[in-house]
Amino acid sequence: MDVDLPYELQLVTDLRGHEERAWQIAWNPVEPLLASCSADKSVRLYNYQPSNESLKFSHIHSIPTGHTKTVRSLAWSPSGKTLATGSFDSNVGIWEREGGHDGDEEAADWECMTLLEGHETECKSVAYSSSGTLLASCSRDKTVWVWEVHPDSDFECMGVLMEHTQDVKCVAWHPSEEILASASYDDTIKLYIDDPSEDWFCFSTLTGHKSTVWALAWSPKGSYLASSSDDLTIKIWKRVAEHKWECALELKGHERSIYSISWGKGKTGEESLGWLASTGGDGKINVWDIREPPESSTGRVLSHKLIATLSSAHDVSDVNSISWCPREGFEDLLATAGDDGSVRVWKVVPSH
Amino acid sequence: MAFSGALTLTDLNDFITPSQACIKPVEQLNPPEELKEPGAASTEIVIDSSGSYYEVSASGPVPNASTKTTEKKLQQAQISLNDCLACSGCITSAESVLITLQSHTEVLNFLESNPPPTSLSHKVPVLSIAPQSIASLAASVSSGSSSAVSPGQILRRVQAFCTQILGFEHVYDTTFARHIALLEHTQEFFERKRGEGKLPMLASACPGWICYAEKAHSEMLPFIARTKSPQQVMGTLVKSWLGSTWGQQPDQIYHVSVMPCYDKKLEASRQDFYNDVYATRDVDCVITTGELELMMREKGWDLSVPVNDEDAPCHNHSAFPELLAHPGTSSGSYLHSLIAAVTQASPDPLDLTVKTVRTSDYEEYILRNRITGELVFKGAKCYGFRNLQNVVRKVGREAGMQVGRGAAGRMGYDYVEVMACPGGCVNGGGQLKPAVRKKEDEEGYTRSWEDSGVQLPDPSEDAGTIQGPKWGNKEWTKEVDKAYWHDLPTPPASPTPEIQAVTSLAESADRLALRVKVDLCHPKNVAGQSDWASAMDQGAESRRRDLFRTQYRAVESEVVGLAVKW
Repeated sequence: MDVDLPYELQLVTDLRGHEERAWQIAWNPVEPLLASCSADKSVRLYNYQPSNESLKFSHIHSIPTGHTKTVRSLAWSPSGKTLATGSFDSNVGIWEREGGHDGDEEAADWECMTLLEGHETECKSVAYSSSGTLLASCSRDKTVWVWEVHPDSDFECMGVLMEHTQDVKCVAWHPSEEILASASYDDTIKLYIDDPSEDWFCFSTLTGHKSTVWALAWSPKGSYLASSSDDLTIKIWKRVAEHKWECALELKGHERSIYSISWGKGKTGEESLGWLASTGGDGKINVWDIREPPESSTGRVLSHKLIATLSSAHDVSDVNSISWCPREGFEDLLATAGDDGSVRVWKVVPSH
Repeated sequence: MAFSGALTLTDLNDFITPSQACIKPVEQLNPPEELKEPGAASTEIVIDSSGSYYEVSASGPVPNASTKTTEKKLQQAQISLNDCLACSGCITSAESVLITLQSHTEVLNFLESNPPPTSLSHKVPVLSIAPQSIASLAASVSSGSSSAVSPGQILRRVQAFCTQILGFEHVYDTTFARHIALLEHTQEFFERKRGEGKLPMLASACPGWICYAEKAHSEMLPFIARTKSPQQVMGTLVKSWLGSTWGQQPDQIYHVSVMPCYDKKLEASRQDFYNDVYATRDVDCVITTGELELMMREKGWDLSVPVNDEDAPCHNHSAFPELLAHPGTSSGSYLHSLIAAVTQASPDPLDLTVKTVRTSDYEEYILRNRITGELVFKGAKCYGFRNLQNVVRKVGREAGMQVGRGAAGRMGYDYVEVMACPGGCVNGGGQLKPAVRKKEDEEGYTRSWEDSGVQLPDPSEDAGTIQGPKWGNKEWTKEVDKAYWHDLPTPPASPTPEIQAVTSLAESADRLALRVKVDLCHPKNVAGQSDWASAMDQGAESRRRDLFRTQYRAVESEVVGLAVKW
C-alpha cells in the first residue's frame, strides 16, 4: 500500500517489560541510553551497542519511581546526567545516578534527588532547556511552571504561568534560546520568555488548531515550531520576526489524534530542515522531509515530502510517543512507546 | 482501525472535566412518615410553578381527589458555604459562590431592608475601608486630575458617600486595627523566638496565601502566624469593643469592609470568625475597592469632587486614630514592625542590610549586631505566587519535610512577610484597574471597530511590541503605592515635623490599643498594664488569644478515584 516512498521503517527491537501502557521514551543525549516510562509507575533504562551492523538493546535498570500514579513524561538534561519524571501524582521527580560510572551501568543505582511539588493535578510533560539550567513542567491544572536548576539538586521556581484555559499537554524548549512553548486542550500554543527584571511571561499565542494541541517539536535549528493536534493536522510555524511566528505549512496524514511528533536532523543533508516524525491514535508512523523553498521561488510555502510511513506500528494499540535519537550518527533512529506497554526502536532505511 | 484499549479506572485522565460534582450527602432530617408498600412503584420528582419540588408516585393514574396524599413536598437540599469550604471537591466553584454572595448588591439590599433606628431589629451599619483600597481610589482619582488627591481626602469623600448616600452610620479605615494586629503579631513573634512555637514565622494577613497553604501545603500551617488579619481585628473591634461602648450586641451591627482583595471575602466567612452566641460574623460582608467604586458610579457620586472640610487634619469625634502610617511595606509592614521591635529590644545597636533577590518582590532583611557582627534577625518579604513557592520549598526542607537531600540554600529566616499578589496588597485582585484605552466612540457607545469594517493596525504587526507581563500593570501598581505613601516619605529618612506628628499619632494609637486590651481581656492587674505586651493573668491571656488570634486547618481532598468523573 505504501507506494514508492524512498524510505521505510525497519524494526530494530521490540522492548517489552512495562506492565501497563508505555507513555514516553527519552534518548539520553550523551550516552547510549534509552529511558521509557509507564502507567506501571516505573522507568526502564536500556543500553544499546552496535552488533552485526545493527544495534543490540539491553535492559539494564528499572527505577520503581515511587510516584504514586502513572509516570507520564520523561526528560534528560542536556548533560545526560539527570533525568526528570513528570507524574499524574502531580509531582516532578529528579533522578541521578549513584555509583556505577565508567560504563558499568548495571551497578548504577538511580536515586530521587528531589521532588518538585507545586502542580495541583496531573503533570503531563517535563522538559529541560538547551542549557540545562531551566526545567519546565505543565499540568491539567492549566499551569506551566519554570524551575531554575541550582547546584546540589536544588530548584527555584522562576515562574508559574497561568495562561491556558485548559489542560496543558506539552512543554518544549527552543533548541538554543530560552523560549518556552506550551500546547493545550484549549487548542492554542503559547510562547514564553523571561523578563530579567520581572517574571516569565507569555509573549505570543498561536491559534489555528481546531482541537487539542497534543505535542510540540522545534526544528533542529529553531526557526520553526511544529505542533500536532486532535484536529488531525500538523502545523509548522515559521519564525518571521524575533517574537513572531506564523503558520507556514499544514500536514495531513493521520486518521486519529496525533499524540506525538519529533523533529530530528535526518540524513538527507544540509538543505533539509530535517525529518519530522509523527504518530498517534491511528497507530501509524509518518516521516516527512521538510525543506525551505529555494531562494528563487516566490512562494513562502515550505516543501514537504512524506518519505516513510508505517501502519500498525504497535499492532492495534495507540502510539503515545515518538522520538528521534539526538546523538550523532544515529539520526535515522526512532523510538516509539505504545498502549501495549512496549517500546519499539525503528531505523529509517532506504526502501528497495 | 482499532479502538485503543478499554478505558480503565486507573489514574489515567487525559480527559478533563470543568469541576467535580458535589459530593455532599443529602441529610435526611425527617424520617419517612409513611412506609412504602412492598414493591411500591418508583416515584418521580416534579417541580411546580413556584419552584418547589414534589415527589410524585408514578404508579399510574391517580384520582384527583387523592393527589395530596401522593404528592410529598421535598425539602430542598441546601449546601452551606461551610460545606463547600470543608470540601475541596469543587472548591473553585464553591469559592466563587462565596465571593458572589458578598457583593455590593448584597450591601445595598441590606441597607434597603434595614428597619429604621427606632425599630428593635435595626442594625447599625458600619463600614471599614483598608488603606490599600483608599490608595487605589486616590491613584485613580489623581490620574484623571492635575493635582494628587491624598488618602485623607479620599477617606473624607468615602465617608461622605457612605453616610449621606448609602446610610452608613460609621465609616472607619482599618489602620488602627492593623496597629493592633502588628502589636499582637510582634508579641507572637517573641513568643516563638522564646521557643513557644515554630520559626520562621510566616505572615498571616494574606487570605490567598492562607487558603493556598491550607489546601496545598498543610505542612506550612504551624509556621503561619496565628494573629488575626487587620480585617478580622477590625471585626472584633467593631462588634465587640465599639458595640459595647454603643450598647449594641454584635448581632445589632452590620459590618461591611472594603478590601483590595477578593479572598478577604473567604476570610470573613471562615467559621473561626463566626460568633455562635449571637449568630453573627465579625465582618458581615466584604466588598472590593472596585465594587465600592461601582456603587459610587451607580449612585452618581463623583469621587473627584471635594467634600466639605476634607482637609481637616483629623476627625476628633472618630473612635479610632485615622490613617495610621506603618512605615515599611504597603502590604502592612509586618516585617518592618518586627525589625523595629527587634532593634528596640536589642541592648546593642543593630545594622540592617537589605538584599534584593531578583526583583523587589523578594527582599532579604538582615539585622546584625554592630559590635559583634552576630546575626540577630533574618527576614524576607516575599510576594507573588512564584516567590511563595520558593518559601514553601525552603521552609519545608529546613523543617526536614522535603524529599531530597540538597543542603544548599539554607535560608534560616526568622520571619517571612508572605503575600500572594506580586507587588503586594496595593496590587490586589479587587483593586481598580488602570485607565485603559477607550473602547467607546465619541458618543459613549461601545463599538467594535473591526466589525464595522474599520481597519485597525494589527498590534502584533510590529515585531518589536510584544504582550506585556501578565500580572497587572507594574507602572500602575507603582502609582497606587505612591498614593499609599502620599503623606509620608518611606522609609522615613530623618525625624521631620511630619514624622513627629506620626510618632505622636502612633503613641496615641498605642494608648488606645492598651485600653482596648484592658476593656476586652479584663486583666486582674489593670494598674500593671503599661502596653500591649504587658503580661496578664491566665484568664485574660486566654481571652486575648480568643480575640486576636485564629487557627488554620488543612483541607484534605476528599475526592477519591471512583467518585471522580473524568
